Amino acid sequence: MSEIPKALQDFKPTEASARTELQKRRDRWFRFLCLAVGCSSVAILFLLLVSIAYQGTSSLNSNFLSASHDPENPAQAGMYPSIVGSVILCVLCAITSLPIGVAAAIYLEEFQPRNRWLKRFHGLVQLNIANLAGVPSVVYGLLGLTLFVYMFQLFGKLEQNQVSGVDFWGVQRYYQFVAVDDLSVIMVPLGESREPTLKIQTPRPAFDTLLVPIDLHVWDPATPRPSDPEVLRRTVRKGDVGAAVEIYSWYYFRLPFGPSLLAAALTLSLVILPIVVIASQEALRAVPSSLREASAGMGATRWQTTQQVTLPAALPGVMTGAILAMGRAIGEAAPVFVVLGGNIAKRSGPEHLMDSCVTMPILIFAWADNPVEQYRQLAAAAIIVLVALLLVMNSFAIYLRGRT
Amino acid sequence: MNRRLPIPNALQSKRYRATGSARRSERVVVALLMTCALGTVALSVLIVLMLLWESWSFFSSEHVSMTQFLFGIRWTALEVREVDKVEFGIWPLLSGTLRVTGIAMLIAWPMGLITAIYLSEFASNRVRRILKPSLEILAGIPTVVFGYFAVLLISPGLQWFSPSFDTFNATSAGIAVGILCLPLVCSLAEDALSAVPTSLREAVYSLGGTRMNTALSVVVPSALSGVISAMLLAFSRALGETMVVALAAGTLATFTLDPRQQSQTMTGFIVEMLKSDLEYGTVQYYSLFGVALALFVITFGMTLLGQLIRRRYREVYQ
Amino acid sequence: MSEPTTTAANLHSAPEPPRILIENFDAWYGDFQALRNVGARIAAHQVTALIGPSGCGKSTLLKWINRMNDLVPSAHSQGTLRIGDLNILAPTTDVVALRRVVGMVFQKPNPFPKSIYDNVAFGPRLHFKISQTDMDELVEWSLRKAALWDEVKDRLRKPALSLSGGQQQRLCIARTIAIGPEVLLMDEPCSALDPASTAKIEDLIYELRAHYTILIVTHNMQQASRCSDHTLFFLQGNVVESGPTEELFTRPKLKQTEDYVTGKYG
Repeated sequence: MSEIPKALQDFKPTEASARTELQKRRDRWFRFLCLAVGCSSVAILFLLLVSIAYQGTSSLNSNFLSASHDPENPAQAGMYPSIVGSVILCVLCAITSLPIGVAAAIYLEEFQPRNRWLKRFHGLVQLNIANLAGVPSVVYGLLGLTLFVYMFQLFGKLEQNQVSGVDFWGVQRYYQFVAVDDLSVIMVPLGESREPTLKIQTPRPAFDTLLVPIDLHVWDPATPRPSDPEVLRRTVRKGDVGAAVEIYSWYYFRLPFGPSLLAAALTLSLVILPIVVIASQEALRAVPSSLREASAGMGATRWQTTQQVTLPAALPGVMTGAILAMGRAIGEAAPVFVVLGGNIAKRSGPEHLMDSCVTMPILIFAWADNPVEQYRQLAAAAIIVLVALLLVMNSFAIYLRGRT
Repeated sequence: MNRRLPIPNALQSKRYRATGSARRSERVVVALLMTCALGTVALSVLIVLMLLWESWSFFSSEHVSMTQFLFGIRWTALEVREVDKVEFGIWPLLSGTLRVTGIAMLIAWPMGLITAIYLSEFASNRVRRILKPSLEILAGIPTVVFGYFAVLLISPGLQWFSPSFDTFNATSAGIAVGILCLPLVCSLAEDALSAVPTSLREAVYSLGGTRMNTALSVVVPSALSGVISAMLLAFSRALGETMVVALAAGTLATFTLDPRQQSQTMTGFIVEMLKSDLEYGTVQYYSLFGVALALFVITFGMTLLGQLIRRRYREVYQ
Repeated sequence: MSEPTTTAANLHSAPEPPRILIENFDAWYGDFQALRNVGARIAAHQVTALIGPSGCGKSTLLKWINRMNDLVPSAHSQGTLRIGDLNILAPTTDVVALRRVVGMVFQKPNPFPKSIYDNVAFGPRLHFKISQTDMDELVEWSLRKAALWDEVKDRLRKPALSLSGGQQQRLCIARTIAIGPEVLLMDEPCSALDPASTAKIEDLIYELRAHYTILIVTHNMQQASRCSDHTLFFLQGNVVESGPTEELFTRPKLKQTEDYVTGKYG
């Protein structure tokens, strides 16, 4: 064995303990630095919440929750349409993205292939999903704009502020007339006509505003005016001009979608699809493989195992991920902005799939961008509502996660 | 006794269900699931196709040259209406994006990494119970809120600090984007740090190392690829961030290094263009797809790199 | 007995190699008592084997001797645990200096994902302020002492993870002795290795005892009898029998000891 090296021979206890002290002092400083930085992120969160609460609480009242945007009078403005819009958008988004996302996750986790080519495909899908999660949401918005709003202009050029394209179902067209009593409205179906107006000459099948059939009576001003109010209600003056109106059912469908609720929902579901897949994969991965083996050992096929053992076991995790993804969808502004535009003038929630729609983040963006100070305060109030909603969703998700 | 136990009818009759139907339905299900997985690939393909298709309308226009787009230092798509006088040079937008992202990373990288080190090496359970949910809440706050925060508090704060800051400037947007990326860096880096086996930490302690020695000399270097990939992912996230810059970074495309000036970013331009009254179909309008293509290429490259690095490190520790 | 006054750093310059004294030692993990009333004297510059069935507290004792259990929040203990004149359990004890004197080799080889050279130099860089030539010398000496030099001298800059399991474990031993400890704690150092590597490490342990006080936990009776001078037999948190290895293995006093060393137990 060789000689003891100089480093160990020269060892001086006092010097060494000085070095130890130095190391320890550094350790304490480093620890303090880490703690300070860690705390500062909590402080930032606190500052953010407090400053917004300070700005917004004064505008937060029941009128604010039930009114709609008012371009003239900020004191009367509210966010009701945007709350309804965000919730409906989120539900549609969940309906479209969850099944596909969970199915893709099941394929990736539970059906891992042994074949070399399929394995390649598997790796590709996996990498692709990770990359999709990194694509900026505004790019998804542009995809939605091209794919859903304009549909690559396959249905003719879509002009701004003008409806074009092909209707499929859920729309009825009428000419509207005011009855002779000046109170009731009478609807005459369009039939085959494409004219924007109708000059009425002879009785036709007609409906009242509740779409109950009525017996239309055409009154020639040259003849005496009927006196019975019941008759007056279903009487129009001969030669009156009615304008065409459209009445939509909630399932109204046309192509291309235009800047509509459905287009926005589909776009958002593309944004959160990778998030849903990744979260579901993690939940499935957390299920111990002994459960799968036990099921397979009883002669269950892979799908039977997944359906009856793995998926139920992973369900709380999947749900947690789904709720977090929904939270992301509700808060996402950029893709919705690209698809729907920044219009916040709508006075109600979306009424059918092709209706335009206001969401909370869009409203906040428009108000925060408004040079009038009072609208900025409204933006803070809207943020409080949005963040409160998200906190409720997230705590529910954390509660679900805790139960597993 | 046991020997006399009668065999149940079900086992005696041995009328097993044919396995064929289960296998057939299995095949149908696998095909369905695979279609969904394929759908995610199709989504990527669609994104690329869309960007190429739409930006083709831009690049093929006689008013646009590729050289000018790649090397030009003036971008006037929003200011100039006569199409033959518009200049399309990406650098003002790109430099705006890089300024904002750079400032954001100056905040998110060190803070995120140090917080991750604190969480994985030092934090007691009590601190962790406060810190972790705070970061989760921070991660869940919509980006438009950070934009509002930048306009409400950060920008006035900067102007109070030095009046030379514009009302809308790269710094305030950058700080807000940095705060937004902080939880992302932190959680990804913490995952990487806690994947380092405990045995390595024990080895350092048994050699008389302090916790700082453990963290800086062994744990961070061992998890380096994971940490780097976390940083790259945050970088790409910051590049694509839209609402914060639309609210706080201003609407002027400037080619400068000065972080106090207005700086329209690529995403900011896209929003501004959609807000403007320029018609779908004009060259200016299509220029937003050219910008989006450039943005996509950069972020995609970053994410891909981050993922590849991350995969490599995963293989080392399994 | 006088109160110990020594600090851990002074142990290096003590006139005699320090002995380890254990008296009335109890240790817990939360409510579970892992060790009860343990007493033993560990002779200097000899190999002491700690044997006994799983969960009997051998590793716990080892982890208290260099206070690795500080990392386990629920671990606590009472009693006397002393090395030379130093009270190991005293809250004032400098844990960093203690661990410099008491090195540890773990069950699974755990080299850092750095080069071979950097692995050995890691400890000295923490503790010494020395020149590059001194460092080279120290690294070579440690690797020679760990019987690894000839195998790695041409590839010191290669990653340590490229070595075989047995080489990695010897590297960990070299890393430990590079900071000049007096005591080596080995927690089943061969349990993850193949027989050939195990034999090499056993030879190494036998060599090393000339300079170090070695405590080794092992489940392998042949190993205990081959390379240790003294043996402590643990059963359910107690040291039930102790003595020179040869005596304990050939003429055990207790029936349980005989059953265990002959392989009848549990």
